[in-house]
Amino acid sequence: MPGFTHLHTVSGFSLRHGASHPERLAERAFERGMDALALTDRDTLAGTVRFAKACARAGVRPLFGVNLAVAPAATASEAGPAHQDRRRRTPVRGGAFIDESTPRVTYLARDGARGWADLCRLVTAAHRHPDTPVLTWGDNHADGLTVLLGPGSDVGRALAAGRPDRAARLLAPWREAYGDDLRLEAVWHGRTGTGPGSLRLAARTVGFAAEQGVRPVLSNAVRYADPGQGRVADVLDAARRLVPIDPAKELDSGEAWLKGAGAMREAAERIVEAAGYRREAALRLLEQTQAAAAECLVDPEDDLGIGTVHFPEPHLVGADRRSAQRVLASRAAAGMVLRGYAGRRAYWERMHEELDIIAHHGFASYFLTVAQVVDDVRKMGIRVAARGSGAGSLVNHLLGIAHADPVEHRLLMERFLSRERVVLPDIDIDVESARRLEVYRAIIGRFGAERVATVAMPETYRVRHAIRDVGAALSLDPAEIDRLAKSFPHIRARDARAALQELPELKALAAEKERYGPLWELVEALDALPRGVAMHPCGVLLSDASLLSRTPVMPTSGEGFPMAQFDKDDVEDLGLLKLDVLGVRMQSAMAHAVAEVKRASGAEVDLDALPPGDPATYGLIRSAETLGCFQIESPGQRDLVGRLQPATFHDLVVDISLFRPGPVAADMVRPFIEARHGRAPVRYPHPDLEGPLKETYGVVVFHEQIIHIVDIMTGCGRGEADRVRRGLSDPESQGRIRFWFAQHAAARGYDTETIQRTWEIIEAFGSYGFCKAHAVAFAVPTYQSAWLKAHHPAAFYAGLLTHDPGMYPKRLLLADARRRGVPILPLDVNKSGVAHRIELVSESSSSSRLSREVWGLRLALFDVHNISEAEARRIEDGQPYSSLLDFWERARPSRPLAQRLAQVGALDAFGANRRDLQLHLTELHRGARGKGGGGGQLPLSGGRRTASAGLPDLSAEERLSAELGVLSMDASRNLMDDHRTFLDELGVVSARRLREARHGETVLVAGAKAATQTPPIRSGRRVIFTTLDDGTGLVDLAFFDDSHDACAHTVFHSWLLLVRGVVQRRGPRSVSVVGAAAWNLAELAELRREQGLEGVAARLAGAPGTGPAADGGAPPDDGQGAARGRLAGSDGLPAPAGSAAQDRMDHHRSRTIRMPTGYEMHPWADLRPAGQEPSQTRKLWHQSPGSAG
Amino acid sequence: MTILCVRFQLPPMYEAALPQLLGLLEEFTPVVEALPPDGALADLGGAERYFGRDAVELASVIRVRALAHFGVDCVIGAGPGPMLARIALRAARPGLTCAVPEDAVAEFLADRPVAVLPGVGAATARTLCEYGLDTLGRVAAAPLSTLQRLVGAKAGRELHEKANGIDRGRVVPNAVSRSLATDRPFERDELDPERHRRALLSAAEEIGARLRAVDKVCRTLTLTVRYADRSATTRSRTLAEPTAHSAALAKAVYGMYDALGLQRARVRAIALRAEGLTPAEQASHQLTFDPADERIRRIEEVADRARAKFGPRAVMPGRLAA
Repeated sequence: MPGFTHLHTVSGFSLRHGASHPERLAERAFERGMDALALTDRDTLAGTVRFAKACARAGVRPLFGVNLAVAPAATASEAGPAHQDRRRRTPVRGGAFIDESTPRVTYLARDGARGWADLCRLVTAAHRHPDTPVLTWGDNHADGLTVLLGPGSDVGRALAAGRPDRAARLLAPWREAYGDDLRLEAVWHGRTGTGPGSLRLAARTVGFAAEQGVRPVLSNAVRYADPGQGRVADVLDAARRLVPIDPAKELDSGEAWLKGAGAMREAAERIVEAAGYRREAALRLLEQTQAAAAECLVDPEDDLGIGTVHFPEPHLVGADRRSAQRVLASRAAAGMVLRGYAGRRAYWERMHEELDIIAHHGFASYFLTVAQVVDDVRKMGIRVAARGSGAGSLVNHLLGIAHADPVEHRLLMERFLSRERVVLPDIDIDVESARRLEVYRAIIGRFGAERVATVAMPETYRVRHAIRDVGAALSLDPAEIDRLAKSFPHIRARDARAALQELPELKALAAEKERYGPLWELVEALDALPRGVAMHPCGVLLSDASLLSRTPVMPTSGEGFPMAQFDKDDVEDLGLLKLDVLGVRMQSAMAHAVAEVKRASGAEVDLDALPPGDPATYGLIRSAETLGCFQIESPGQRDLVGRLQPATFHDLVVDISLFRPGPVAADMVRPFIEARHGRAPVRYPHPDLEGPLKETYGVVVFHEQIIHIVDIMTGCGRGEADRVRRGLSDPESQGRIRFWFAQHAAARGYDTETIQRTWEIIEAFGSYGFCKAHAVAFAVPTYQSAWLKAHHPAAFYAGLLTHDPGMYPKRLLLADARRRGVPILPLDVNKSGVAHRIELVSESSSSSRLSREVWGLRLALFDVHNISEAEARRIEDGQPYSSLLDFWERARPSRPLAQRLAQVGALDAFGANRRDLQLHLTELHRGARGKGGGGGQLPLSGGRRTASAGLPDLSAEERLSAELGVLSMDASRNLMDDHRTFLDELGVVSARRLREARHGETVLVAGAKAATQTPPIRSGRRVIFTTLDDGTGLVDLAFFDDSHDACAHTVFHSWLLLVRGVVQRRGPRSVSVVGAAAWNLAELAELRREQGLEGVAARLAGAPGTGPAADGGAPPDDGQGAARGRLAGSDGLPAPAGSAAQDRMDHHRSRTIRMPTGYEMHPWADLRPAGQEPSQTRKLWHQSPGSAG
Repeated sequence: MTILCVRFQLPPMYEAALPQLLGLLEEFTPVVEALPPDGALADLGGAERYFGRDAVELASVIRVRALAHFGVDCVIGAGPGPMLARIALRAARPGLTCAVPEDAVAEFLADRPVAVLPGVGAATARTLCEYGLDTLGRVAAAPLSTLQRLVGAKAGRELHEKANGIDRGRVVPNAVSRSLATDRPFERDELDPERHRRALLSAAEEIGARLRAVDKVCRTLTLTVRYADRSATTRSRTLAEPTAHSAALAKAVYGMYDALGLQRARVRAIALRAEGLTPAEQASHQLTFDPADERIRRIEEVADRARAKFGPRAVMPGRLAA
């Protein structure tokens, strides 16, 4: 019995069409005894690399192909589908149907690299079509491909319609283009009638093939790996077409799975019998199929180019006359002189050593390419910095790619590139985020569109999107779907039911989960299937001119950049050179700050030449008020900075390195702090190791230190030592390394105890240390941003707010600015710019600091909700405006925009109250539309002032609400101020007073939620960290497992919180609160207003955290209270750098995720939590009926 | 305090019960104005003296009678004028009649949202709220000229009067139910135009039959399509001549539906309302030389008789029979 090869199989990479991952398909093919399998995704080759690798693992020969929509040949459209001309009426609601009427054809790569190149070319050509990818007939020709005309092709459709004559006519152009490479594909899915998948169509196809002398093949048009997944296919169809599943319509047959050879033979027999042949003819059909498969010979290694590197041609990087290596050497030497290292021997030696290694690998072109890009970027006036291990190379520094001097900071080249390392080196460059696309354009301009492509990033289904799509397919109420989706944290879709069972904040939902029928099962089935594709935020492919024959390229949706269909891992496997160009918002923010300082005061600030060791800067950092500073603004980092008290640049480097999951998990933080403050002695395993370990008080922090230790102990050389270090993260090789290490160290004369102790250190910290080169590269902008915050606070905040970096909502930055004494100047159409500005505020005489000039922060127009770039620009260009009419006529704002501006007081300068202004604007608008408003003439009084219309002005609360709604910021005052009296009644401790609170004291705190995280922590438990802002400062909160049942839902889903907790104090600047109970403050305030304190008391008497509707929740019993007490007493650190005490009652233990080196993680940790991001909140706690909008 | 505004808690499909309930009110006063589908205004000017009870006590009597005779509960508001009675109705609950005190109308109105005023629809209310005039007190305090600038000269003046508690309305007796409605909900999001059309046809048939049963014709048809996201599209069409003939109604409804051009809209319900009902004998009919129209009308007549005899499902269009 001949085997069977599926020639038409789609994976999940066929967006919202295929239901199985390529890995699953390859596995199933192997299990069902198939020797080969084709992957023919719709419109994409993105699954190719994963498929090839999976096939190699499974021992199945991969065939590569693609399924494309093909516009019919011009000659074939004589019978012209007339309906295309008839334009349908635009629907008033719900949008038009998704047009899937273009015929689809499957192409298989046949002749090795040529076939692959043809596939790439066809896919690229199809994506050139606007809107949906369609291959035009002009591009539809290739020599190395086999073409399958199935039921979805124009020929197949003519047959289904019972028009063999038309089919024959349509076949002619195909024959002309592909001749003998044409196959007719018969598919039987057990359907009735004559449509696709019906027996009659399959039989007609086979008969037609015999009649026309075209070879037929059998396929199963596979959409999923296993039987029973038809329902998933239905959901995907619904999601693709954006319609609900209609059970009355034709659903998926459930037959399109990866059937085994036996089942396919039966199908073949049925088809040939139905076509009127003898049963034996089935064998011929199967043989034809096998023959077609056998012809397709594309080798993943040789033909796809996996494992070969292609650099841009040397002449593009200034090496047209001499070799790239010579050019690199001379540029490096020039850099030595330029940077003043010419007289230092160590630098020369290091340079030559590095150049030798580069020459050894032949990577000179690569370095020149990166240098070229960096030069170009710098010439455009864009801030650029290298990050990553590349900063450890002196050559990079000399070429101007990296800032920090690697010799001075003792960075190692070997961490980046060594003789022993065979993988492509990786240089990442950071540029200003706001100008990242400019950089891309510059790169494309420099190297040409045929050599450059951005990298794709598939967006895959996670639980929220899966719920939305399945819910829509099942006709659930949209509001209900939204509620379901938002109640989940951002977890994988396959964990949906597990999360329902385990997560306390989903308890209410879990109780009613049966209501939704098959929803959860289908949600889990969608797990990780790609649902769209976006441009990777930083990767850029650079190659030689052959890029397009190795990679299918499609335009990105917004900007139209060329984008390879492969993602970043595929790209590495394919040996395509990738340069990571990261847009860093902090760089943009700092650039804006510097520009503002120059614009407003004329002072030049050169951030790259700041004096090192500025006391004010370090003073700021030590105060832990580092909101907005690069890398050190998170709650955990603020806590760490407070304890570490950095005083030098090196301290910053260490600080950044310590705040990583690895060091936190390996508990490196505490010993380091103890040793640093002299509370514990500095110990080295052996005096020889003092050299590398001295800088960090004997604690291993950096990768570089491990490299040094291994090198010193074994004498293996640093390149080898780096390889050893890499091996540490794999448990298997770790065993081998241990043996090797002991042997070599003993040979060098170290005693067993030293070796044992050293190994323990290496084992514990080896794979988790941080690359010092990374940390140094990070610390530079950290210092720069802190310097700006210390010396030019207004400009610093202007930059931050303009480019919105960091983890906190804008309103929190504004609160921080207010706290630091930066005057916040309201939006004003006569003064505000497109971006945030700084303004000199005339020093008031009451101010005690008379000598200093005070700079204020003027809010920006672009923060106004829904303002367009052009409108903001027009308003700024037209300044100043003398009256409302003048503003209206020259700035020409849209009516909603003008209303919003009036609401937030941007038009206050024109007189009258804000509501009156709104009325005038409406009339102006009516007048402009020629309808003739009620008043006709704009009533003016006193010349340029606008007359009052007697409308009530916005109340203070309405103003605040308008500010939040329009600007997303409480610009005039902190929104918590309104609750001050209520909070005083409750005896809530303010953030400022909390600093003086005793350790272990039970307090009430309150504030607006600024950030919520559930990061991975060492104990493998789930801890919810929340930061509240109460106007006087920030309160960092931690909720441990025992409080989750009562608090989690409230914490995730409320915006204003009141929390009872215990103060944790671990240093002068390190205070946090362990939460025990949480209430929605908005709800309490509402109760206070409506029912007085009695109402509040009644609410507090109920269970904390639950709403009044769900009063059944049990209050935490005494046992939990005891556990909490224990936690409070432990030296646990309620920050990601936590060492929270082990809880014996921990029932989540069984489901912790164990990392390779024993680091345990809670399954639900490290996720974006449930509810809405605080930064997206636009509404005040309530909206009075009269509030704006 | 002479006007009652009564809202019977009728299930939406039982509009036909309203005339009987109006009869109940007419036992107290001849001045009853129907507010279809489920309400009525009654002027108790004379009744208070006749029965020797005040309006609130009479309201209790009405409620008890409605419950006893028809098993229908009702909510009642009382006030010096129809408008005030209607506003009072909003604050009333079954068993608790809300009455507007005659001497404290301004206080009563001051804290009410503007949307409670009859004649202030969603659009006007939104406009007023945008300008901070969210309560009637604030509207009353605003200058008349400003109100007129906001909502127009006439509407502004009326708004100003109403907000100040000046109620110029009167209860106008009318026995006529002025509109008929029917609803066709779908079990799931329905996109199929064929099934939409079936729903439209059956709704038009029902409206036609109900109109003919009470010897009425309608002037205007209103089609409301409700979607899964709870939004809705409404279209009205005034017929060329008032009619009660199902075929003519269906044709008008199809026209409105086709104009929507729905494709992917997730339709959850289709509602049809016939408005501007007038007695059939007052309707005119343009005769044509086309015998088809004449034939359809005669078939309809026969079908109506068959239905009267054998039940509503005895005769129906082929499209609905499937």
